[in-house]
Amino acid sequence: MPRDSEDRSFRYPLKWRIMDGLNAALDLLWPRRLGRYTGWALLTPALLLVGILVLGLFQIAENSLHTLDTSTFLPGEEYTLANYRIIAESPTYWRIVWRSLLGAGLTVFFTLLLALPYSYIMVRTNKAALRKTLLIVLFLPFFIGQVVRAYGILIVMGSSGAVNDALGLVGIEPIRLLFNFPAVVFGLVQYMLPFAVLMLAPALTAIPRETETAASSLGANWVKVFRHVILPMAKPGLVGAALVVGTLSLTDFAMPAMLGGGSQDFIANAIYDQFFRTADQGLGSALALLLVALGSVIAGVVIAFFGAGTLGMRGRK
Amino acid sequence: MISRSQRVIFWCLVWFCIVILSVPTIIVVGASLTGGNIITFPPDGFSLKWYRQIALARDLQQAFSRSIIVSLICLAVSLPVGTLAGIALTRFRLRFANAIQIYLLLPFTIPLIGSGIGMMLVFGSWHILGNIWPVGVALAVINLPFIIWSVSSSAAALDSDLELAAASCGAGRFETFLHVTLPGVMPGVITGGLLMFVLAMTEFLVSLLLTDARTVTLPVQIYNNIRSIITPDLAAVSSVFVLIALLAVWLLDRLVGLEIFLKSK
Repeated sequence: MPRDSEDRSFRYPLKWRIMDGLNAALDLLWPRRLGRYTGWALLTPALLLVGILVLGLFQIAENSLHTLDTSTFLPGEEYTLANYRIIAESPTYWRIVWRSLLGAGLTVFFTLLLALPYSYIMVRTNKAALRKTLLIVLFLPFFIGQVVRAYGILIVMGSSGAVNDALGLVGIEPIRLLFNFPAVVFGLVQYMLPFAVLMLAPALTAIPRETETAASSLGANWVKVFRHVILPMAKPGLVGAALVVGTLSLTDFAMPAMLGGGSQDFIANAIYDQFFRTADQGLGSALALLLVALGSVIAGVVIAFFGAGTLGMRGRK
Repeated sequence: MISRSQRVIFWCLVWFCIVILSVPTIIVVGASLTGGNIITFPPDGFSLKWYRQIALARDLQQAFSRSIIVSLICLAVSLPVGTLAGIALTRFRLRFANAIQIYLLLPFTIPLIGSGIGMMLVFGSWHILGNIWPVGVALAVINLPFIIWSVSSSAAALDSDLELAAASCGAGRFETFLHVTLPGVMPGVITGGLLMFVLAMTEFLVSLLLTDARTVTLPVQIYNNIRSIITPDLAAVSSVFVLIALLAVWLLDRLVGLEIFLKSK
């Protein structure tokens, strides 16, 4: 009886059996009664991964409390606040902090000044092709990476670069455009522009076109429409963009290092130098912790003033 | 509708943006095609010799393959971790959900130099510094919010009744996850994975802190070479990054459409 033997050899498809096995394994490893903790179980790897950062902060804090023993070039044993005292009493570090804050402030101002019309045109245009082009122009640098972008700026603004060539055509002598403070700010603005536009655009999309029409039909010119309608309604987006641009440029390393030519250090560059040039880990750690604190204080103040809604704008939502 | 003065002022500013965003890239690509030995613009004749040169340069080749390995490790770590976390944050009701969200945003709120130095110290005390794989893990950590964000926005759009329906049709928990939840969040997983890979390819500061001469990745190698001398072979390497970026933008547009980034929440 061939039929009988077929019955005896009948088995569920392999895929089903694997699934059943996996389900059984899951039931064994994570019984259903643990269901209310499933969310936490799924979250644990991410919490642990980010935990490395928290661990790193503790390690930095620990290191910052030991001074470098100049006789052995090893961190000293005893706990001391000497590193923080050195920073507080050093005019060099105050100058670097001041330069970083000024650079970040200028970057926020210029970036928003450029990002606002860019996102406005991109959101409001009726031409799909124009919108797509503007988006591609924005995303391309975002994916190219900071070093290559800074390299591009180095070539364009160099003493024999395109900008000086163009100036030469109208009879202006070549000028030194690089390795000064404005060059760093320019690099930061160029670097931050995509971030700012991507955070502003959703906020502008949320403003109905009709509110503008209504304002102008009541006699407001476009400057007034912008001041009294667009800017107040886009405030969460503007504040969020300013916060992200401000903190990212305050803590930037590559632009001051590459476009500043060593004379325009920001805080991050000072930290790097302490670790890799002077090998004073304690002082570098103290600086790093102060930078983290400075960034958090700025973010905290901005959020306290403008509400936690700006935090929801983070992560390019 | 839009008045004349507004149009003139806005378009001037927009054109300025387009120029500063695109011209450096275009000139880098142009400079890589020069026939001369120094970078000039316009290029001194057309030649692919610098591409031949970088194809033969051992240090650049090794740095490039290291970058690929680092990005793949970053992907291998962040894809499962970020996907599970994204699902957990949207599909499960958790206590302290707000605190968790703030905690998971730490990689964005802690300055990169702080994260990099911190991980350098931690990895140093674990005696794993000097390998390539910790760099991949570190890049997964600092960009984790990107993939969590992209998976959660996919998961939020998924109807939770589908999972119940699958269960009532006899699917076990594993099958429900594999055949219903995972395909539902797949667009977010792919977008997030793309972001993670490309951002790991181009990441600079954390890689600079965690690598040494034997484990240097391509962006760090470019940075080191720029410091000494600017030659057209660097422009050729940079053009490789431009190509990667073009590919990434094209893929992103095909997968989710760039317009999604304009939508308000």
